[in-house]
Amino acid sequence: MIVISILLILLAVLGAPLFAIIATSAMVGFSKDETDLMNMAIEILGIAELPFLTAIPLFTFAGYLLSESNAPQRLVKMTGALLGWMPAGLAVVALATCAFFTAFTGASGVTIIALGALLYPALVQDGYPERFNLGLVTASGSLGLLFAPSLPLILYGVIAEVSIDHLFLAGILPGILMIVMLSGWSVWVNRGNRQMLKTFSWRKVGIALREAAWEIPLPFVVLGGIYSGFFAVSEAAAITALYVLIVEVIILREIRIRDLPRIIRASMVLVGGILIILSVSLASTNYMISAGIPQMLLEWVSSLVASQVSFLLLLLGFLLVLGAILDIFSAIVLVVPLILPIAAGYDIHPVHLGIVFLAAMELGYLTPPVGLNLFISSYRFEKPILEVYSATFPFLMILLLSVIVIAFWPSLSLWLVPEP
Amino acid sequence: MTQSSIDSLARLERFGRLLETVALVSLLFAMMLLAVGQIVLREVFNSGIIWADELLKLTVLWLAMIASIAACRENRHIRIDALSHLLPETAVRVTRVLVDLFAAAVCGVIAWQTYRYLQLEIEFGDTVLIDTPAWAAHSIVPIAFALTGYRFVVGALRKALGLDPVAAAVGVP
Repeated sequence: MIVISILLILLAVLGAPLFAIIATSAMVGFSKDETDLMNMAIEILGIAELPFLTAIPLFTFAGYLLSESNAPQRLVKMTGALLGWMPAGLAVVALATCAFFTAFTGASGVTIIALGALLYPALVQDGYPERFNLGLVTASGSLGLLFAPSLPLILYGVIAEVSIDHLFLAGILPGILMIVMLSGWSVWVNRGNRQMLKTFSWRKVGIALREAAWEIPLPFVVLGGIYSGFFAVSEAAAITALYVLIVEVIILREIRIRDLPRIIRASMVLVGGILIILSVSLASTNYMISAGIPQMLLEWVSSLVASQVSFLLLLLGFLLVLGAILDIFSAIVLVVPLILPIAAGYDIHPVHLGIVFLAAMELGYLTPPVGLNLFISSYRFEKPILEVYSATFPFLMILLLSVIVIAFWPSLSLWLVPEP
Repeated sequence: MTQSSIDSLARLERFGRLLETVALVSLLFAMMLLAVGQIVLREVFNSGIIWADELLKLTVLWLAMIASIAACRENRHIRIDALSHLLPETAVRVTRVLVDLFAAAVCGVIAWQTYRYLQLEIEFGDTVLIDTPAWAAHSIVPIAFALTGYRFVVGALRKALGLDPVAAAVGVP
């Protein structure tokens, strides 16, 4: 058994598709228990039983459509008109727009490609230092994972069986905290640069608002619809997808109909990669639960740490390492079922756990040597990877600080969440 | 291999790709319209289709399975991609061929086991969506795993012959 586990880990590190690794571990478990391997079918068909799963393909499609249209330009212009007057205004604009965009596209690299290309030259033009720009754009690429309707939030809700509505509310303040802390850092770094100060003009705001008039209702459709009880998350996803489709293809005509198959295919390929992992992980999770692994882990952890504080520290350390190795989706489906009961043992609210989990995993995108955003950025802006590492490092430290605050300040996450 | 058999293989590849895209587009649109239709029926006409929710969930299953075949074709299944940035290219190529063959074998086993399960469903006469045979609704699972496995074999061959780049494309396609 141990030999097989080591072999599987080796295969995973060598780059075997994770779903194949997870499926194998489940099947090895099944055959050890003399369970018929046919049970894999029942487990895989489990994804046709999970609630709200339609939200994942529909929101992803909407996000890809937005990124292919001129919405990113409009968004930057609008935020620029509203926030550009601040010190380091454009940096703050970059952070805010990237966060909004990532919420819709799920940090799959789309943000850096679609928005980075826009913001990076603008930042250079406004006289921000080169290294700062590179770090800022790279770090912004995964900012916004805590905002509705990000895919990791939905997936956590499905796996942990907690209300996705509550998760959407819980992410707001911690997500804002991350943006504020990074904005503060940006202002501090650029305190000597007066060239960037812009004036605020109502006229500019008016023009930008009018241009973005079709996209402005989107967050309200998503959040407003859900919280007014008008529709469920999966329904909000369908409305959002249809709305974006009509606006960008029929009304604004920024996306040609013949481009739709390509965009749909690209977005569904991402969804397929996530859902196939989800489907086989249902099998491995069920095996691990029937083998009593969560209890064993709980006993082991409670022999190590006694207090909630020390448990949180242990958890954070674990998640940071995990995030550096594993992508956020695989991490959610594999690890959340195991740590949920442990966290409950330390009296940690499952919604708070979700926010801490995602916030910590967000850092994984920026952690050398293998953080995904670092490579996308290096490739996109044609910079050596080592330069991207060092440019991103201060941002990584600020985010780390914010994750620690989020972890040890549960009421920040739970503030907006209604008591059950 | 003769030129004509290479041509027909290439045609088969293009046809398969087209079929995937058509299926993905249709399923996504069906899902979107069915979900929006349910909301309209509920809010405006105070009614709804009883089996709509079950159909939506089956649509997710089909979408996930077909998208998995497509993801394999585009070399975009999620992997730990650390080594491809750190090892020399030849070493990456060799390991990628090996792990892809491993993935192909796993897909084959899953396809076979899920096929056995379908036979059981036929035997018991299970149904979904009121009276649709369950095996028909679930048939995509063994088919998709078999085709994903086939794609991994093709991908391994292409990587071995140097026809495909080893690392997955970065960012939006």
